[in-house]
Amino acid sequence: MRKILLMAGWLFSGMLTAQELYVFSEPASNMPAYSSGIKQSLKWLPNRPGKGRDFRSTTEWMYGVNKNWMVHGAVTFSDMYSPNFRWESWRLYSRYRFYSSDDLYRHFRMAAYAEVSTSANPLIYDELSMEGDQSGWQTGIILTQLLHKLAISGTAGFTQTFLHPDTLHHISVPPISREAFTYSLSAGYLILPRKYTSYDQTNLNLYCELLGQEGISSQRRFLDMAPALQLIFKSQFKLNLGYRFQLSGDMKRMAQQSWLLGTEWLFLRKPKGQGKK
Amino acid sequence: MPPALAGGFQLIIMKKMLFLFLLLQATHLSAQFTGATLKASGLTCAMCSKAVFNALSAVPYVEKVQPDIQASTYQISFKNAANIDPDLMARAVTDAGFSVAKLEMTGNFPETAIEKDGHVMWNNNVYHFVQSSMKTIKGKQTIRLVDKLFVSAKEHKNYGKQTTMACYTTGTRQSCCPSLGGSTTARIYHVIL
Repeated sequence: MRKILLMAGWLFSGMLTAQELYVFSEPASNMPAYSSGIKQSLKWLPNRPGKGRDFRSTTEWMYGVNKNWMVHGAVTFSDMYSPNFRWESWRLYSRYRFYSSDDLYRHFRMAAYAEVSTSANPLIYDELSMEGDQSGWQTGIILTQLLHKLAISGTAGFTQTFLHPDTLHHISVPPISREAFTYSLSAGYLILPRKYTSYDQTNLNLYCELLGQEGISSQRRFLDMAPALQLIFKSQFKLNLGYRFQLSGDMKRMAQQSWLLGTEWLFLRKPKGQGKK
Repeated sequence: MPPALAGGFQLIIMKKMLFLFLLLQATHLSAQFTGATLKASGLTCAMCSKAVFNALSAVPYVEKVQPDIQASTYQISFKNAANIDPDLMARAVTDAGFSVAKLEMTGNFPETAIEKDGHVMWNNNVYHFVQSSMKTIKGKQTIRLVDKLFVSAKEHKNYGKQTTMACYTTGTRQSCCPSLGGSTTARIYHVIL
C-alpha cells in the first residue's frame, strides 16, 4: 500500500514527465523517420544450476523508414544453450503505427508489429522467446497512452515457434506448447531533470514493466516484473539497466530472473547548415 | 436625377464594386516572412524534442531554430528572401513522429486589405483569411495557420465554423476560391490574424 501511495505521489507531483522508451518492451510510437539507431545489450542469468552465469549479447540495428514504419534487425551470441560463447540467432522486426492522436503533452497511439527469428537452439523450455532462444515468429498490437505525467503502454501478441519440442532433453505433461499468448504492461517516469533547459542535460528515467506469457495448449504461464533504470546523455545516447524476475507462474524456463545492461545510440537526421544547438 | 445625387449614387456603386473585387480577387503582393513560432504536440521527452529540432533545422528555408524544450516550442528564423512553404515545417514535425499544435508566422507586409474569406497571394502562396472583419494590415504582422496540419483536430473543427468554403477542408483550391491563375489544385493556406 505504501508503495502504491509513493507511486501516486510521483505521478501527481507535477515534476515528473512520463517516458516511453521502455527497456523490456516497445512502445507504439516510432523512432523519427530517416533516423537510425544501434542497440548493444548484454543479458545475463545469475545462478544457473550447475553452470554459474550465462550471457547473451544482442546487437540490434533500427531504422525509421518513414514516420509510421520502422524496422529492426538483430543478431545474438550466447553461451546459454552451449558450453562456449557462439552465434545464436538472427531476428527481423517490423512495426507500423496505424493510429495517432496527438495533443499538448499527450498522445494515444496504436501500432502493429511482426517479428521472425531463426535460432540455433532446440525447444526444451516452455517459455517461447524470439530474443535468441528459438526460431519462430510473433505478431501483436501495441497501445500507448501518454497523459501529461503518465505514460502507459500495453502489448498483446501471439508467438509461434518453428521448432518441435526436443523430447530427448525435455519431457513434460502436457507437452510444451508451440504457440503462446504474450502480453505486457509498462510505465515510465522521468526523475531528472526536473526542468528541461538543454538537450545536453542527462535524463534519468525509472521504469516498471509487467511481462507475461501463456502457452496455448499447455496452459502453463508466467508473469514477470521488470524494474529498470535508464540514463540518457545528450538526448542521443541511452544506458539501460534492468532486472527481470518472476512474480508467479508454472512454466519451465531457463531462468526465473535475469539482468539486462544495454546501450543505445540514436542517430537523428542531421540538420543542414546548422550549428550544434 | 440631379447631377450631385447621380454622382453620389455612382460612388456607392463603385465602392460596392471595389468591395466585390477585393473579395473575389486574390491580391498578389510581395511580403517577407521573417520567422515562425511552432508548438509541437504529442511529446514530452528531450530526445523527442531534439528529433523535432533537427527535422525543423533541416528545412531548406530555415536559418536557425531556438528550442524551448519544456514548452515544446521552437522559435524559427527564416533565411532572407526565402520562398516559404509552411507545409515543409509541418512535414518535418510529423516525420519526427509528432504533430503541430500551433504555428504562427511573422512577416513584413505591404498594405493589404483583409476581408473575411479574402484570399491573398503573398510570394506565390495563397492565404485564405477565415476569420477576420474588414481590416487593412501593414508592416510587421503575425498570422496563425489553421489548416489541419497546423492545429489540433478540435481546433480545426472550431475554425471551420467560421467559413463555409470547401477549400478549408481540402487545403487546395476549389470552385469557391477566386481566380488566381496557375494550377487548379494549388495549395490554399488558411489563416487568422
